[in-house]
Amino acid sequence: MLLAGCQSPSPQPFFQLAPEAAAHKAAQTRHFETKDADELLSASAAVLQDLGFHVEESVPELGFLRAAKERSAVQNGQLTARGFLMVLSLGRVLMPVDLQQQIVATLVARPTGTTGTRHEVRVLFHRVVWKGDGVVDRNYIAPGEQRMEMVRDPLVYQLFFAKLAKAVFLEAFTL
Amino acid sequence: MSRCALFPMSMVLALAAACATPKPRVDLLSPSEAQTKLRAIQSRTFELPDRLTALRGVMAVLQDLGFVIERANEALGLVTGARFAEPNYFDVVAITVTVRPQDDGKFLVRVNAIYNNKPIDTPEVYQNFFAALERSLFVERG
Repeated sequence: MLLAGCQSPSPQPFFQLAPEAAAHKAAQTRHFETKDADELLSASAAVLQDLGFHVEESVPELGFLRAAKERSAVQNGQLTARGFLMVLSLGRVLMPVDLQQQIVATLVARPTGTTGTRHEVRVLFHRVVWKGDGVVDRNYIAPGEQRMEMVRDPLVYQLFFAKLAKAVFLEAFTL
Repeated sequence: MSRCALFPMSMVLALAAACATPKPRVDLLSPSEAQTKLRAIQSRTFELPDRLTALRGVMAVLQDLGFVIERANEALGLVTGARFAEPNYFDVVAITVTVRPQDDGKFLVRVNAIYNNKPIDTPEVYQNFFAALERSLFVERG
């Protein structure tokens, strides 16, 4: 694991579209029959507020919103596992568990088609999770190890778009 | 000043003189040949109706590539984003894209990608990005 950490991976894969990119895009996007982009964006901000986010960045000309919220990421399953491991290793191993998470929403609303009567909203949820500290054989593991993951659970997106559809009194549909 | 304080003070001064920061090189801010070559691979011209379309295409492609859009500015034609270099969560890939109109009505898209603190200078990375951007713009127009 140390060796893997020493070698910096090449940045190449991050600029290539993965084969699943189109499927992910479809899950993250909904279309609304409306001419009013500002209203759609404002309603999106309101829905994000409802979900406990605070909006950090907003650009109305581009229909862009970025919002974030922090929550505890402590899971009972992990705590139990940590307890078992500590007992089994006779107190030598205390594994770091997830401590805190930040969930970020990046939203873009823009017109689609040529008539200007339809807009699409695309939202990306991702979370950054930080681990607490731990001990392995008297070696202290400092807190702060982090990982980031895109939220791929379709329910999260469905919930967001259901709320948005209600807020603008329109139907959200996929293509 | 007591005689006890004099000796450590002189040591501190000697150390401070030894640690004096070197003067910046005169050519620190001037473009080098490598920089000019880098600018060529980082830029590409696109024929588009307006800057808004270009910026929307850029934001769409950044979302497709899994970047988090940090800042976007329509008036300046500027979009910034970043992401972790998964599965390694200690490295960060950051990207700045600017869109500027040219005299012939086309738009110049310039991409600055950094890996941790170092600029990425491999041409393939930028070629991949522009390929993805072209796809995104084509899909938009269709």
